[in-house]
Amino acid sequence: MVKNSMLGSEEKYGNTLKVLVVLSIKRGVDKMNVIEVKNLTKTYGKARGISDVSFNVEQGEVFGFIGPNGAGKSTTIRTLLSLIHPTSGSATIFGKDIIKDSPAIKKDIGYLPSEVFYYENMRVKDLLKYSASFYKKDCGKRMKELAKIMELDLNRKIDDLSLGNKKKVGIVQGLLHEPKLIILDEPTSGLDPLMQHKFFELLEEENKKGATILFSSHILSEVQRLCDRVAIIKEGKIIKLEKISTLKENNYKKIHIETTTEIGKDYFAIEGVTDLVVDRHKVDFLFKGDINTVMKKIATTPIVNIGVEEPDLEEIFMHFYEKEEAYEQ
Amino acid sequence: MNIYLHELNGHRKSTVLWTATLVLVVIVFMSIYPAFSKDVTAFKSILEGFPESVRNAIGLEVNQFFSLLGFYSYLFLYIKLLGAIQAMNLGIGIISKEVRDKTADFLLTKPVSRVTILVAKMMAALTCIVLTNVIFLLLTYLIMSYTSTEPFSSKTLFMLSLTLFLLQLLFLSLGFMIAVIVQKIKAVLPISLGVVFMFFLLNLFGSATGDNLLRYLTPFQYVEPMYILRNNSYEPDFLLAGLIVLIVSIVVSYVVYTKKDIPSV
Repeated sequence: MVKNSMLGSEEKYGNTLKVLVVLSIKRGVDKMNVIEVKNLTKTYGKARGISDVSFNVEQGEVFGFIGPNGAGKSTTIRTLLSLIHPTSGSATIFGKDIIKDSPAIKKDIGYLPSEVFYYENMRVKDLLKYSASFYKKDCGKRMKELAKIMELDLNRKIDDLSLGNKKKVGIVQGLLHEPKLIILDEPTSGLDPLMQHKFFELLEEENKKGATILFSSHILSEVQRLCDRVAIIKEGKIIKLEKISTLKENNYKKIHIETTTEIGKDYFAIEGVTDLVVDRHKVDFLFKGDINTVMKKIATTPIVNIGVEEPDLEEIFMHFYEKEEAYEQ
Repeated sequence: MNIYLHELNGHRKSTVLWTATLVLVVIVFMSIYPAFSKDVTAFKSILEGFPESVRNAIGLEVNQFFSLLGFYSYLFLYIKLLGAIQAMNLGIGIISKEVRDKTADFLLTKPVSRVTILVAKMMAALTCIVLTNVIFLLLTYLIMSYTSTEPFSSKTLFMLSLTLFLLQLLFLSLGFMIAVIVQKIKAVLPISLGVVFMFFLLNLFGSATGDNLLRYLTPFQYVEPMYILRNNSYEPDFLLAGLIVLIVSIVVSYVVYTKKDIPSV
């Protein structure tokens, strides 16, 4: 699209085009990987951590990291932040090594952990000021803005805050230095839906301003709403790396049929059909493949009702996990 | 600098309290000194009745006991004990705080290296100890001058009192090392009390037996008031031993802390 319109304008605006080309080349160069993870492995004694995790996060992208509890999301994030050290493999952020250049990298990272803990005897204001003092810029204005958006009372003691309010402190302290990379580890726990909404709007805004976001979650609707690409992690390994749009692409159909007579359990057990559930007159399944084959199959049996839906991410995800488990067995 | 100030601020209260406690012990003990010195002969005969090992254990020798500095060096055993607890508590507490209070995720994701954090914390702890000692020394000098009826050597008093600082340095650095090695410290006081009392017991045994090997095992023995009182100097061998303990614990703390995995909350 962009190419076409640029070509079109070539005749009209010769000089402007040059600038545009230069800009677009520059943009292309700028669109480097903010995070590059190569074969990252972390083992804790005999317990599993993560093994051989590799992925890249591009500049300006919202990258989702999904998987159930204990799959290795936090381990990966904590390794990136050099809170823990990898057993093998390496990773870079902004092109710098996560271990060697950790302090330099962290200047431009905002991190929000799933559970936030702060110095309890401090006031919110003092904690945020302490947090800001690590960054060599004036964060006072942004701090007030964020506190206002998140409806956070700066004069209260950390000790007296509820879980949700502590989380708000976390959000403000994670964003007050306007980081280029925002790392969120299951960030929404403890926030009420209203605040969650505001928080997501805030993230979208930061993203528009150019911030890259790495977002770990086990709540798929969050990921679906925010992310461009996702990595699905299971038992310490990345099992799928996909664009959200591809993941949701039409290759899966959720089909519901009601027949006039009871049909055999195996009637729809054809290639491409998964998650087949036959309950007397009702049949549910997911289908992937040439839609004509299943349509022909349906046409040969009298039906009273049919529904064809796009499955949501949740279903794809569950389906994916179950399939993996089936393979293992 | 911000971490240093933050830590210093956090330990202000406890440092004031510990300093006040140390000075209070001196005041209490010295307030009974005038009564003591009046009945010198009666006391002498009672104390001489004690077996020698007992007398050695509580760190007093009959003749020196009744001089002002002799009495001071006797009470100093308790000052040392308290000072050791303060230093060990501070050393373990300041380093393990982040993991204990689960604030490691906050501090260690800031753009500072672990070395910077460690050094800032060590410096803050050292500042607390130095302040404690400066105030303690000043007030002790005033109390002694007030109590004393005869002149005493301020140099010896200074040398005796300085041993508190040396001892605290050792316990502080041991505290650092313990804090980085033990994975998760839930409560600081039980550990610091345990370690200090272990060394204190070794100290009592060391005094009672005079066994040199035993003396090397406990920092309490590195600075022996009676030796200082007699020779007006420290024991070089033990100063060296102290220096080695100090260097080893700082180096171990550094190596472990920079490499260590921070447990997740």
